[in-house]
Amino acid sequence: MTRGDFETMSEASAAEVFAGGGEVGHDLAAVDWKSTPLGSPQRWPQSLRTAVSILLSSRFPMWMAWGPQLTFFCNAAYRRDTLGRKYPWALGRPASEVWAEIWGDIGPRIETVLTTGQATWDEALLLFVERSGYQEESYHTFSYSPLRDDEGATVGMLCVVSEETERVLGERRMTTLRDLGSDPSAIRTEQQMLSFAAAQLDRNRKDLPFTHIYLFAEDGTARLTTSTGVDQNGRSWPVEAVARGESELVTLDDGQALLVPLLQQGGSPYGFMVAGLNRFRALDESYRGFIELAAGHVAAGIASARSYEAQQRRAEELAELDRAKTAFFSNISHEFRTPLTLIMGPVEDLLDRAGDPETRAELDVIQRNALRLGKLVNTLLDFSRIEAGRMQARYEPVDLSAATAELASVFESAVERAGLTFKVDCPPLPEPVLLDRGMWEKVILNLLSNALKFTFTGGIRVTVRAEGDAAVVTVADTGIGVPEAELPRLFERFHRIENAQSRSNEGSGIGLALVKELVEQHGGTIRADSTLGEGATFTIRLRFGAEHLPASAIVPAGSAAPVSPAADPYVQEALRWLPDGGGEDGTPTPRQATHARARLLVADDNADMRDYLTRLLRSAGHNVEAVADGRAALEAARAQNPDLIISDVMMPRLDGLQLVAALRGDSRTASTPVLLLSARAGQEASIEGLEAGADDYLVKPFSSAELLARVRANVELARLRNHHARWRTALIDSLQEAFFVCDEAGAVIEINPTFTEILGYGPEQLPYAPVHPWWPDPASDPDGYRQVEEAFALLVDQTHGSYTIPVTHRDGHVLWVAASFNQVEDPDTGRRVIVGTFRDVTAEHYAVQREGALAALSLRLSEAESLPGTLPAVLEELRGLWQAAEVSAAVFTGAGVPVVTTATDTALRWEGLPEDQRQRLLAVRDKALLTPVAEESGGAGIALEHPDGTMALWVQLGENRPFTEQDRTLLALLAGHLGQGLHRLHQIDQQRETALALQRAILGPAQLPAGFAVRYSPATRPLKVGGDWYDTIALPDQRIGIVVGDCVGHGLQAATVMGQLRSACRALLLQNIDPAQTLTALDRFAVQLPGAMCATVFCAVLDPGTGDLAYASAGHPPAVVTHPDGTIDLLDQGRSRPLGVRSAIERPEARYTVPSRATLLLYTDGLVERRRRPLTAGIERVAGTIQRGRGAALEELATEVMESMAPEGGYDDDVALLLYRQPGPLELDFPAESTRLATVRSALRGWLARAGIDPTTAQNVLVATGEACANAIEHGHRHGPAGWISLRAAATADYLRLTVTDSGRWKTPRPAENPHRGRGLTLMRALMTEVTVTTGAAGTVVGLQARIPR
Amino acid sequence: MSTVLSFATSRDADGATVLAVTGEVDMSNAAEFSAALDGALSEAGAGPVVVDLSRVEYIDSAGLAVVFPHVDRVRLVASELLAPLLTVVGLDDVTSVRS
Repeated sequence: MTRGDFETMSEASAAEVFAGGGEVGHDLAAVDWKSTPLGSPQRWPQSLRTAVSILLSSRFPMWMAWGPQLTFFCNAAYRRDTLGRKYPWALGRPASEVWAEIWGDIGPRIETVLTTGQATWDEALLLFVERSGYQEESYHTFSYSPLRDDEGATVGMLCVVSEETERVLGERRMTTLRDLGSDPSAIRTEQQMLSFAAAQLDRNRKDLPFTHIYLFAEDGTARLTTSTGVDQNGRSWPVEAVARGESELVTLDDGQALLVPLLQQGGSPYGFMVAGLNRFRALDESYRGFIELAAGHVAAGIASARSYEAQQRRAEELAELDRAKTAFFSNISHEFRTPLTLIMGPVEDLLDRAGDPETRAELDVIQRNALRLGKLVNTLLDFSRIEAGRMQARYEPVDLSAATAELASVFESAVERAGLTFKVDCPPLPEPVLLDRGMWEKVILNLLSNALKFTFTGGIRVTVRAEGDAAVVTVADTGIGVPEAELPRLFERFHRIENAQSRSNEGSGIGLALVKELVEQHGGTIRADSTLGEGATFTIRLRFGAEHLPASAIVPAGSAAPVSPAADPYVQEALRWLPDGGGEDGTPTPRQATHARARLLVADDNADMRDYLTRLLRSAGHNVEAVADGRAALEAARAQNPDLIISDVMMPRLDGLQLVAALRGDSRTASTPVLLLSARAGQEASIEGLEAGADDYLVKPFSSAELLARVRANVELARLRNHHARWRTALIDSLQEAFFVCDEAGAVIEINPTFTEILGYGPEQLPYAPVHPWWPDPASDPDGYRQVEEAFALLVDQTHGSYTIPVTHRDGHVLWVAASFNQVEDPDTGRRVIVGTFRDVTAEHYAVQREGALAALSLRLSEAESLPGTLPAVLEELRGLWQAAEVSAAVFTGAGVPVVTTATDTALRWEGLPEDQRQRLLAVRDKALLTPVAEESGGAGIALEHPDGTMALWVQLGENRPFTEQDRTLLALLAGHLGQGLHRLHQIDQQRETALALQRAILGPAQLPAGFAVRYSPATRPLKVGGDWYDTIALPDQRIGIVVGDCVGHGLQAATVMGQLRSACRALLLQNIDPAQTLTALDRFAVQLPGAMCATVFCAVLDPGTGDLAYASAGHPPAVVTHPDGTIDLLDQGRSRPLGVRSAIERPEARYTVPSRATLLLYTDGLVERRRRPLTAGIERVAGTIQRGRGAALEELATEVMESMAPEGGYDDDVALLLYRQPGPLELDFPAESTRLATVRSALRGWLARAGIDPTTAQNVLVATGEACANAIEHGHRHGPAGWISLRAAATADYLRLTVTDSGRWKTPRPAENPHRGRGLTLMRALMTEVTVTTGAAGTVVGLQARIPR
Repeated sequence: MSTVLSFATSRDADGATVLAVTGEVDMSNAAEFSAALDGALSEAGAGPVVVDLSRVEYIDSAGLAVVFPHVDRVRLVASELLAPLLTVVGLDDVTSVRS
């Protein structure tokens, strides 16, 4: 097809050039194209129209440049994302003008594409563009690929681009925010925190060229704490707005700064942050938001540091207080005893002596109160002793019943005076109990005193029993009882039950605590049981035997001592409470519960227990939800996380320990506190619970008060702790990248909302154990599955890494994510976990894939040598790209049967296709060109222009593979390129065929003179003909003209020039003009013949009789002569410039005589020229080849040279080669008559002389040949009329080869029959090195070979 | 063109009959050579005949075949050029080489 045909074709559809381009197409149509170098669209080449059509039909942002000025085109997506205000001004303008401000960056890249034809690829390249009215920092990922015209020359480029500015900025800012929140150390001081924050801010100078953090002092002045970036030289800032908590934009000489307050919750700002602004970015919402978030981080850090400092101070104060208390107890108690003793002694004396009843009564008061004070001091002293481990107990075997009954009797009168019954039931025990009598006294007296104090009706009962291996002592009363809530704290020191009705408001709250300590000193236990309003029972268990007591403290039994005087104060005190004892009443001071309400989750399978706990906890003001097992608890906790979970250990479905493990495995519930309740006592059980991750452990039975106290403590603790966890969760949830945490086995145990957004899998089903549900299906996408498998191995084995893999969204669509991960140690559990993030890179992936596919397709097309061979390879490429089941193409040529090509079955014909497939292809054919048609069933087709007609292409995907929008874009893009490529190949095909035909016609079947061998080889790939030629011309005087030449360039034009030069040269030589003159005449010719300039020619005239050679070379490599002995001569004289190059110097001519049996080689540079190797090296190589082959026949040698010199993969330039060996072979044909023999001999003798053969060898050859000829004449006659005999002789360096051929049949020689005649053959054999006789139906051939002595 | 060949008969100093051959002998003129030799033999009677081939540039097996039947009476004189050939065919014992 010629250019003219294209134009005619184009005009018909010119109006459609911009059709389908929407608004951009419309605006493109409006451009005054005639004033651009591209001219009117009606005359645009097909390649440009195809490129514009691809551009406009793509939804992916693209622009292209075409022609000498790189005229600019773009599509709608590019206009939207990148072009900005430059639209529509940019359309049709030179690209260098459109992108003048970044031409320094992109110009060289475009230049590279245009000169090398190689595509470029840049990822997130920073470019300062002016599209929004200012110089703007922007990032682009783009690829430039070459566009070719109809002749295949690169005339433009296509740019596929994604605007990445938002992503790059977002990532950069997110990094800063993440760094700000990533302080690895524990909480630190305010200044440390600020320094850390400043260091993080300084790492992002692009968004924050400089920053200052100011804090307000008490007096409202601002103090600079940290600075980063450009020094502002102590500039002062307006603080009014930020002090009010508002941001303020300040304009500076060289830019702007944003002042943002560091807000304090519920207070005036801590201070403010000055953030310098990037001059190349507008202060948009996202930028402002970033700075405010950064300031928020700083403010939160200040809050945290200040609160930490305050807590630290408080804790130190408390510790100091505790030390002071201990000092008080251990030291001050002693100090009371001395003054008390000094009061008691004199008072007793005075009482003895006093007669006056009034004085006596007053002295009684003093003594009673002194006793009470003494009792209190003694008790305190006991405590400090016990605490300091200085209590010196002395355990002696005692009759517990008797001792207890005796102590009880002391109170008998007081109880009776109170109007109460007093029962002492103390039968003798089977064995004594080891007691410290002093301590036991205090135990019983305290209990009795306590009973009397709170009992108003009924009575008091003391019993002693033996139960198993212990003695059990109970002191029971029918008093007011103890509220259930108070029971657990009953034995706490200084704990007093408020509002209790009692005989006295006095009391230190220390008695029962001491009782408990003393009982425990005995290795015993004490328990209080009470029902409010019905009384209380204290039960003491003391074990028999001595095993539970230190042996050193055991003493032998002493005498049964009477009750010590120490009992007196108790009784005295008790009597004082009784009505006639003169009681003192106090008023109760109510107190309010202060703890906060909490949301509690109770899990217990026992309904009664569940109800009890619910009632108890609700009564304490909490919100309670109760469930019956661990599974229900887990679900409830995941639905709404409670403040505390109270769980039984033994439960069906999921027990308490498993529940704790499951809660801890889920990030959302990992920090929810759990209080386990268990009937299993003992340290091991509790350790097991705590190891499982429970926060507290309570053994049944437990008091209600203890439970409530533990609940309160745990809730408060958790609230403190959760403050951090909530901050972390908020941070992770705000990440724009998907975030996940895996355990060691690779199970995903934590994710953020972005994760769910990208993959569709939410936190409800956590944990996600491998194989994760988003892995590709191994059956339909084995390749994707394998990639994910490899990435997963990386994740589990390596400490950090990154990978890009395909994954399947919950809704089934496939996307690509780029993930990176790190191994870290969970600070709470010490376990190794993997923390990772990923983002959706589907768009980028497909862009890269498109680039890759385009590159692969371009490669296929550029490697292609012919149109028919290309299509199967291209279809296979497409099949590989889509992992398609089949890719088929049909070319509809008009009337004929469509030509079918498929990727998998090359032999398939149209008739062999299934009917549905034929229908599909037909349907595609009828659609608009380059418009993908997709089917539900997972296939798509597209129609494109094929040189022979319309080509319908169909890609049949595997089962259930949808054909996505991405796939459509790609298919359209590839089809466009394919169409262009096929047209280009078609043209190349045509050109090559023409050129080859021409070349063959010129080089032709010219009759070579004897003794010459020639070769011509076009360049191998792409198969190109060139301008090399060889020629031999038989001149009238028997001389032979020899020419080898090389025109510049390749293809049709070079071949044409070559033909003309060759003819001219031939004509000149025929006019008997010598070589130098011939070249000079060609110079004049070359100047007028376009393309002939600088052709190189080696021109020679040979006299084959003498070997004399006259030659001249026009810039051509030297001819090579190899002597029979291997010596090499280079014919490098007679040299001058290539044809048409002006010079004042006449072309020289040189003379040389080709020695006998020497080989002359003429060639073009394609034979010897190799990249990066000197030409001389190639000449040496070819000389070596000739040297080694000087013994071979000339044709064989020519073949050998062509083969051995060929580079791997074939010649990349065309090669002409001409070989001549002196003398040429002798060729004689004569009638089989004996009279001819003398003439033949004469001719042979002359030839042998020219071949330089010595006389003896020559004589041998003459005789042997004569015998052969004689035989031929004889046999030729025998069977009919005389035939013809032919004699051939040729020489190599070392051998002579002759053949005598006749048409007769030789008889087997029988020398015995005819001894004289048979001698002929014997003679031949004796004289020659080798003789062969081959007799066939056509005749006999005698071969003679003689070695030529050196 | 037939092969050029000429003969001359004479006596040498010893009285032997000498057949001097000049030219080339091949199958085309071997009969002439045979006739010339027969003439020389009959001329010599019972005496020996010296066949002087020193001016023969070429002789093939047809020519040599003429000599073989008479080797008991014939002595050959040959140039160095022909000597190797005569040796090959076993006539060296009746041949003297003249340089």
